[in-house]
Amino acid sequence: MAHGYKIIQWTPFKKSYDAALLLGVLVFISAYLVGALAFAPQGERALPIQVALRALGACAFSLLTLILLIGPLARLSPRFLPLLYNRRHLGVTCFLLALIHGALVLLWYHGFSDLNPFVSLLASNPSYDSIQGFPFESLGVIALLILFVMAATSHDFWNNVLGPNMWKALHMLVYWAYALIVAHVMLGAVQGEKSPLHAIVVGASAALIALLHVVAGWRETRRDTKLADAKNDGWLRVGPPNDIPNSRAHIVTPPEGERIAVFRDGARIYAISNVCRHQGGPLGEGRIIDGCVTCPWHGFQYRPQDGKAPAPFTERIAVYRTRIEDGVVFVHSDPAPSGEEVAPSVIAGAQQ
Amino acid sequence: MSKGEFFVGWSAETHRADRRFLLGAGLGLIAGGGVLGASLAINRPPIGDGIWDQGTPHTLRGILSRAPYPILRTRGLDGDVRTVFLASSGKTAPEIDGRYFDHGADVSGTLITRGRNAMLAVADVQAAPSGFDTADLAAPAAVDRGPVMLVGEVLDAKCWFGAMRPGYGKAHKACAALCARGGLPLAFCQIGACGDGLDAPLLLNENGLAFGRAVLPLVADPVMLQGRLAAVGDVLQVRASFNSIRRL
Repeated sequence: MAHGYKIIQWTPFKKSYDAALLLGVLVFISAYLVGALAFAPQGERALPIQVALRALGACAFSLLTLILLIGPLARLSPRFLPLLYNRRHLGVTCFLLALIHGALVLLWYHGFSDLNPFVSLLASNPSYDSIQGFPFESLGVIALLILFVMAATSHDFWNNVLGPNMWKALHMLVYWAYALIVAHVMLGAVQGEKSPLHAIVVGASAALIALLHVVAGWRETRRDTKLADAKNDGWLRVGPPNDIPNSRAHIVTPPEGERIAVFRDGARIYAISNVCRHQGGPLGEGRIIDGCVTCPWHGFQYRPQDGKAPAPFTERIAVYRTRIEDGVVFVHSDPAPSGEEVAPSVIAGAQQ
Repeated sequence: MSKGEFFVGWSAETHRADRRFLLGAGLGLIAGGGVLGASLAINRPPIGDGIWDQGTPHTLRGILSRAPYPILRTRGLDGDVRTVFLASSGKTAPEIDGRYFDHGADVSGTLITRGRNAMLAVADVQAAPSGFDTADLAAPAAVDRGPVMLVGEVLDAKCWFGAMRPGYGKAHKACAALCARGGLPLAFCQIGACGDGLDAPLLLNENGLAFGRAVLPLVADPVMLQGRLAAVGDVLQVRASFNSIRRL
């Protein structure tokens, strides 16, 4: 967890992640350049700047596809959570690649004339009523602006300033950016290709993202339809306490409101909101570390007894009352008053 | 994932299982990215053998003409009388003092060539020495080659000759429009031959004059036109009315 808003809180894992990211970008672009320049027929070599702007665009698109795949993959298997942790580094890199791609396009295709390159970019082709003649550049410009806003606000500082809901809503614009980029490529570069490979890659990438989101969403929806058994007095049945793995949680879905994560810490049973205040991560899929519930997405922590993040952090989530009756854990669907410490239920006969 | 292998991003330690998975996933993604990048690069349409040799200045002696585009009729390339189109180093027609037109001139610059097509990016123009014989360099009359219907793309000759590689297609549309707007010659490549073809007739209106900016919306789009082919010396032209050009 970061508190002092350093630009990057380096850890060995983060360094390895960024090194792999940098290596991946270099390999992609190098392979593209070698493929285009070394394997071109004699005398038919494209200009290096035109190859480079293509390579950068293709790399940015591939990286954005990967970024959008990580979310649903992490929902389907916790194996992918380490890829999620530093996903914003991928996003900033994607924006920088797209920015250089755009700058080269502006210079090469819109420069060297008596018309301002920005005017040429936005006004040289007014054929918005034509599929084949559509000014695909404008779609790329809008997508680049979205990527810029996302990259500029990617740091937790902005999450804190804007609030998690606003920040999340802003960053959901990535789906619009991706749709715009798919249209940008399909109405632009793909129209000039003879091989169907480019169209297949772009179409398959978009289809894979859609499919994984549908599958992940379907699993979430199916979980939400399994509502916890509720008594008339608001108590929800969770199950036998020892069915909850130590330091882990069972997630229950009340008839109304957010899911509740019921944790077992040794012989103590706690219940907190399942939604992390940072980016809405599923706290119930986290675990208790050093006495704090730890979010599986970015490691934000909360004390299970009062929902407060340990000092010096100030985030707070709702906590819920629990009780154990006839060997069954129950949790009340109404959160405890804000800031109030809720005593855990204790499993009878168990060592704490 | 066992209980002890819960991943915490800010932790100084990464569990062995996560390390193994990330190593495999990272190597797979890096290798996959390389294969994808190379595949996308190799599967590109042909570009053609046009080239702009900016490292070798040339000075060609001939007679300058203004219409329909600035040209130099010269014997300076291979001894045959050839038409060399003229451009600036950017996306505009060259700025040449009017007094040089229709007279002998020495034109310096760098050559853009594709097959027998040639264009000079003009750096300097001087009057040819007095006594320079221009008798056989005057542009001959146009010879009509009959009606023609063509399907292809309106493009700017400078980029197609080799200033851009590739210099045709949708990605090049804005550039072609700027060149056309700047007064550079327009040509017409037939579908399937824009990349590997060696000849694209000069595109002119039915009177043998440049279209001007009216044609800009059609540049680089797939179009069909009906007109007449004509030959003016070594330059093949297709002459068509604006209304006969239809976007496909």
